[in-house]
Amino acid sequence: MKKRNAFARLLSNTATWLVLFVFSFPFIWMVMASFKTQVQIQSPGNFFWFRPTGRNYAEVFNQYHFFKYMINSFIVAIGSTLASLLLGLPAAYGIARYRLNGLGLTILAARIIPGISFLIPWFIIFNSLGLVDTYTALILSHMLVGLPFVIWIMISYFEALPHEIEEAGAIDGCGKMKVFLRIVLPISGPGVMTASLMSIIFSWNNFMFSIILAGEKTKTLPIAIFNFLSYSEVNWGGLMAAACIITLPVLVIALAAQKFIINGLAAGAVKG
Amino acid sequence: MLASWMEKRFKWIVTLPALLFVLVMMAFPIAYTLRLSFFEWSMSAASPPKWVGLDNYIALFKDGRFWHALGATAYFSFGALAAETVLGVAIALLLHREFRGRGLAKTIFLLPMVATPVAMGLVWVLIYEPTNGIFNALLQAIGLKPLHWLGSIGQVIPSLMVIDIWQWTPMVCLIVMAGLTTLPQEPYESADVDGASRRQKLWYITLPLLRPTILTAVMLRLIDVIKTFDIIYATTQGGPGTASETLNIYGYVLAFQYFKLGLASSLLVVFFLLVMGLTLALIVVRRNTEVSS
Amino acid sequence: MKRINKRLGSCLSALLAVALTAGCGSGGGSGASPSSSEGAAQPFKGKKITFYVANHPWAETIKELLPEFEAQTGLKVEIQGFAEDQLSQKLSVQLTTKASDPDVFMTRPLQEGRQFYKNGWYEPLDGYVEKDKAEIDFEDFSKSALDTTTVDGKLLSIPIISEQEVLYYRKDLLEKANLQVPKTLDELEAAIQKVHDPDNGVYGFVARGQTAVLVTQVSSFVFSEGGDFMQGDKATVNTPEAVKGFSRYGRWLKDYGPPGVLNFSWPQAMGVFAQGKAAFYTDASAIYKNAVDPEKSTVAENVGFASFPAGSAGAKPYSITSWALGMNAQSDNKDAVWAFIKWATGKEVMLKTQQGGNPGVRNSVWNDPEGVKGFPAELVEVIRESSKVGVGHDRPLVVNVGEARDIIGEIVIQAILGEDVQAAPDKANQAFQALIDGEK
Repeated sequence: MKKRNAFARLLSNTATWLVLFVFSFPFIWMVMASFKTQVQIQSPGNFFWFRPTGRNYAEVFNQYHFFKYMINSFIVAIGSTLASLLLGLPAAYGIARYRLNGLGLTILAARIIPGISFLIPWFIIFNSLGLVDTYTALILSHMLVGLPFVIWIMISYFEALPHEIEEAGAIDGCGKMKVFLRIVLPISGPGVMTASLMSIIFSWNNFMFSIILAGEKTKTLPIAIFNFLSYSEVNWGGLMAAACIITLPVLVIALAAQKFIINGLAAGAVKG
Repeated sequence: MLASWMEKRFKWIVTLPALLFVLVMMAFPIAYTLRLSFFEWSMSAASPPKWVGLDNYIALFKDGRFWHALGATAYFSFGALAAETVLGVAIALLLHREFRGRGLAKTIFLLPMVATPVAMGLVWVLIYEPTNGIFNALLQAIGLKPLHWLGSIGQVIPSLMVIDIWQWTPMVCLIVMAGLTTLPQEPYESADVDGASRRQKLWYITLPLLRPTILTAVMLRLIDVIKTFDIIYATTQGGPGTASETLNIYGYVLAFQYFKLGLASSLLVVFFLLVMGLTLALIVVRRNTEVSS
Repeated sequence: MKRINKRLGSCLSALLAVALTAGCGSGGGSGASPSSSEGAAQPFKGKKITFYVANHPWAETIKELLPEFEAQTGLKVEIQGFAEDQLSQKLSVQLTTKASDPDVFMTRPLQEGRQFYKNGWYEPLDGYVEKDKAEIDFEDFSKSALDTTTVDGKLLSIPIISEQEVLYYRKDLLEKANLQVPKTLDELEAAIQKVHDPDNGVYGFVARGQTAVLVTQVSSFVFSEGGDFMQGDKATVNTPEAVKGFSRYGRWLKDYGPPGVLNFSWPQAMGVFAQGKAAFYTDASAIYKNAVDPEKSTVAENVGFASFPAGSAGAKPYSITSWALGMNAQSDNKDAVWAFIKWATGKEVMLKTQQGGNPGVRNSVWNDPEGVKGFPAELVEVIRESSKVGVGHDRPLVVNVGEARDIIGEIVIQAILGEDVQAAPDKANQAFQALIDGEK
């Protein structure tokens, strides 16, 4: 019996790490490729054995000015996330406390509409306001992804909070707004954290809205990566290095805040 | 005075700003798309949109490519979704044990879903490359026949599914894992008393209890998988031929490559109704299972 | 909350730190700012125009030269670069809304020219040229290049880059097989057959196989058999001549091509060739660097260039203007834009852009030894030859090029799949005719 258990454990452990290897394979491949020359990338024979080069990374920053695009991505991601929190936290609280489910669904509809139907109308609006190629336009558009997500996660988080906490606050004579700001928000840290991280990641990865609304000054990383595919030349090495660089911040976020992201996803799903 | 006014209308004060924002950002595009779907327009600055009534919708429903795109969307979405659900649950059960490096394992698992899709799409293009790519090299190394992957009409959608499965199984899996931690202990204890085997416990306790969670995960994925754009745009743009042309891609092609704004708008309207219908259906299904469980 | 903030804060600062160190070592960038003191007359001092460019080596050279122009004229030119598809998309969205930005843009006359013209997005340039004909030596522009950018007798853009279809081949493989460089398509087919050896990793032939993108490269096959996509308002993609061209291209890819060609655009096709896995490759001259750069190609030493082989109607490769400069009809600064276009397409600048590897459109530059020294000598000969006999288009001359390419490309797809050789062209011809009729 004991032997069988040990065997079963060995089997599931092996399976686990095998699965993990399979899922991380594209990353491993990408990182390796980013240290290869173009010729090496396209010959599968030397997958592991090659003389690494740092040239691709140097090019990404020197020749393709990726640092600039990175800053743009940061500004837009953080800006849209902060704004989403500002609007989303109170809304989620209201929806959760007063069971405004219809309202919740309306806001979630933003997730259902195919993204391309926004492109031309938005361009018309933002252009007439003179906002194309500004951070404002990008932040507003990315909020349409971030805000529903913040609300989605926070509704379930607020619903899970025990009512007694707020009742205690109300007895102390605090108004509803104060209860929300002073009592509810401070204990909702983990939820807020999750919502922010997910919103940052979605904004960071957004491609479709940025194509239309970004310009040279505000171009974000997912757009900039196409700089490596030019009309008559393709720079796979640089492209892979750029892909690694784009992935690095989300990777760091994922590593540092794995628990929050997972819990948040779970909370949203299990309760929602 | 102000305080009591605010107190009374608290629920509106907190929710209205977000609601207004979403409505403002969505209302114009929706109205614009809806309106344009009754017009014919090639984006010309010289000739304004021309009213054509329901012609665009009629043309759309007569358009073989639309039905093909609908089929491709269904094939891709349901194939990917089914695999993600099965794999996600299986892997969640695998990871839901104590073992060394569990934290690390979970983190690694999180990566595909947070990585930038267009960047990863380009990585997959190289991995799939039939002559120079690593996948065929691996297949040949273990004595199998190389595949054409994205370069074949029959294999392109399964190949795209693999990318989607790679990217999104982790999400299903993480949601299910969270669901696992909230399962009540009692059914298992009584099952132990009855001497149930592990497989029996899985089939008769765990999976039924997980049903609402799994359905939620499916719903979340469904909304997104139907709209998949970045990955297909970065790898095949709908090819070979139109083999991997989903509704979203066809809408993009109609609007930005063929400049048929009216037709594209009617497609988007139909597409939107479709996604909404499916989502509502799932919400209903889920509500029913909650009631019955 | 505070603890969370702190966490978030430290997390962010860690990210920033990573970003900063990663950014270190990036030198000054390209921001060589112009010294404004030069040149007394600065006619456009204080003015600014926006210029949208594709990711193209031509634009890189222009960026380097720009400070000089800005110093002379006082005009500030703001450049924004995009991948070609995104450029088209961005332009169409922007011009649709009658934006005055960008003032000037790189444009593909054959791909989007008629669409942009029909939509009133180009400022016709005949008047501007008339005024400065001598100054810009207009006669120096290659005639076929100007034909490409002229629609209904109106000059819509000024050509900057030319392109021809050429034959890339492997000298070493030909030598080993004791073959001469093929002069006709039949000879080429025999040669392909002879060197095709997939068991040893060499395919006889490679070319583009993606529906829309292959159309330009199959065009020379069709032309060289005496066919074309259309004649007047009549679709002609199912004529025996055209079908011969389409099916030859499709058959070669099917029988002698590498696996998975259906998803090949030029980067994949070139990738196979550059890895030494294909003996012959037909594609645009513009991408030659990918074949001869040892960083990108394992066969750089052994790449040969030849003119497109002759079919039953002789050798008729396309020879076109792939890129031109267009002026936004809504621009607020048309004179400034014209001054910029004059400069960017002038002899001096075109010599420099051509030295940077961008085949230009001025005869004087091609006849200047300085102008061709950047190219492999063999290729220069091929380009000269091709532009003499070449056809001025590589895709159908319609408004909706995107849709037309999808329709026509399908013929070749069916040929690659080995389907009936006549059914597909007939069906495509019908669809294409409907498209042409719809545009009248």
